Amino acid sequence: MLGQYFESLESGILSSIEKDGGKASPRKLYALEIARLGRRLYDGGHKVAWCGVAAPFDLLNAMGLTSCFVEFVGAMLASTGMAGNIIEQADHWGYSSDACSYHRSVTGAALAGLMPVPEILVGTTCPCTGGLGVIENLARHFGKPLFVLNIPQNDTVEDVRYLADQLRDLVGFASGHTGIPFDQERLTRAIENTNAARELFVEIFDLASRVPSPASSKDLNNFMISLALLLGTRECVDLARAFKDEFARRVETGSAGVKGEEIRLLWIQNRIQFKNPIEKMLEDEFRACIVIDELNDIYWDPIDPDDPFEGIARRCILIPFNGPSSRRIEHLKKLALTYRVHGAINPCNWGCRQGTGMRGLIEAGLREVGVPVLNLEVDCVDDRKFTEGQFRTRIEAFMEMIGSNRSSRRDS
Amino acid sequence: MYYLGIDIGSLSCDAVLLDGHGRVVADAIVPTGAKNAEAIALATELVLNRAGATREKVKAVVSTGYGRDRVEGRLASVTEITCHARGMRHLNEKARILIDIGGQDSKCILMSETGAVVNFAMNDKCAAGTGRFLEAMARVLQVDIDEMGELDRGARGDVTISSICTVFAESEVVSLIARGENICEIALGLNRSIASRTVSLVKRVAPDIDGMGIAMSGGVARNRGVVRALEEALGRPIFVPEAPDLVGALGAALFALERGARRVSRDDGRHADGRREGECA
Repeated sequence: MLGQYFESLESGILSSIEKDGGKASPRKLYALEIARLGRRLYDGGHKVAWCGVAAPFDLLNAMGLTSCFVEFVGAMLASTGMAGNIIEQADHWGYSSDACSYHRSVTGAALAGLMPVPEILVGTTCPCTGGLGVIENLARHFGKPLFVLNIPQNDTVEDVRYLADQLRDLVGFASGHTGIPFDQERLTRAIENTNAARELFVEIFDLASRVPSPASSKDLNNFMISLALLLGTRECVDLARAFKDEFARRVETGSAGVKGEEIRLLWIQNRIQFKNPIEKMLEDEFRACIVIDELNDIYWDPIDPDDPFEGIARRCILIPFNGPSSRRIEHLKKLALTYRVHGAINPCNWGCRQGTGMRGLIEAGLREVGVPVLNLEVDCVDDRKFTEGQFRTRIEAFMEMIGSNRSSRRDS
Repeated sequence: MYYLGIDIGSLSCDAVLLDGHGRVVADAIVPTGAKNAEAIALATELVLNRAGATREKVKAVVSTGYGRDRVEGRLASVTEITCHARGMRHLNEKARILIDIGGQDSKCILMSETGAVVNFAMNDKCAAGTGRFLEAMARVLQVDIDEMGELDRGARGDVTISSICTVFAESEVVSLIARGENICEIALGLNRSIASRTVSLVKRVAPDIDGMGIAMSGGVARNRGVVRALEEALGRPIFVPEAPDLVGALGAALFALERGARRVSRDDGRHADGRREGECA
């Protein structure tokens, strides 16, 4: 089912590009690459590694593995409107309906035979133990070998070395179980691609922070979280360049992502993955634009292509979700100030202890820099729990509040 | 000229009519029922009749409540959060925290010293602790909803009732009745259950309530038992206006007066320059 979906998505996008004389927006090219990744995962012709979110995808790509974090499947099922039925399968298996729907949908998909059998699984202890539990379940379900990366929390020489050594072990593990020999030259080229893409991402986010932002609410939706899967590839560099060029063009021509941009918003954690009217409503009715997502940031340094393990390890450790909440909150404050946002929306995905556990601290932290937060309680994957009227009232009231406070400040 | 505010909620449709000086000349509360349009028409007709006015004399209408976008001929629609804050500010300038419990929503609104909304929190996931919750409990207790407010008089307070879910709470109440528990104890348990849920909303928007005036609006504020339980839980008196269920409609009417006087054009909740209520000029 999903394999067919990705195949027809890819061919549909390709014919649309052909129809437009080979021209395509960066967002269309992004959708094309996601479709291609999905097709590779499902076509049976590639060796697959199911992973945790913080896995080193450039390293795995360099080893010729089609690798992907499992939550991707949950997001895809949600975007196609299929998540509800699949989630029920996980519930029948004993998952609590209060648990994270990304993970319930992945588990349901595996039980329904909708997940390709991997060669290996690579779990990560960050960002959440729920995700690691799913990977462990999948390893047992598929009867395939599991490697768990224990990601330490501190950016110290010892912690970086500890993780870098695990990454070296991962290479041996993956090579041993897949039969793919490790190729240092191929890894060097992959890291050069990672660094090239990184430079372009920095430029993209710098452009997106301009006032008005050249980015619409949709342009960078799920951007960095998905492109992490393509790190190390030429396609990732080309895609990043397409976004950078488009945003530079828009800035040069004074073309804003949202015409007449009035309100700038920060979106915390992940977007809602199923079709919903929120972004359109924000833009059409309030001229409000989501100019920055929490996950759209480059917080890591360029990596040494000739000796990449320490650099990759540091990148994993520095994920803002890793470590104490103060680190994540400082990161959010930095984004709020850099992007000059007027408010932040935290969807507080149901069942996500990571997301909801610290929401009070996040709210207090952002208020310190004058940014109010709207805490929604939404299941980002299961559309059966979405009640549009309730969300509309909360968002409208939040927009009224921001608008009225800005007016008061201007008047005083 | 007159200015009309309509608050179309899940249980009732409330209307307030102001004159050009901002004085309330008429109000009405009718059940929403299954057809919003009929409730809106009836509430409008009632306030016009009571004021001896005609529709032509109404210069501006602002709507609020969950059915706010269904009010035809409105100048703007404004959320109930903003309207309740505006209405309460008009009634009590000292109120900084507003608790509004309606038919299916409970919310807490933090206002600045000038009355602007600076934060708010609403019930999520379920409507336990709202007007619907009380209706269900009144049905189980076989009392009229209006009697619920004084039912807890004389209770010792040794019954605790779940605030997680209306259905679970209902079955708990059935069990308590079956085992012969005194009705007044059950009523106090229910009021405290609502208070406990509501206090968490208050603490979310205002961790420290010292020195802040607290007010309550919405139909549930008519229930003195719930108000007493909230006062006990917060350790503070709560201001309740004479007609707490009309505060949203009053706020909407005040917006109609402000905006109507400025002769803003009506176009689906937008001002002449395309802005919506609350947006910056």
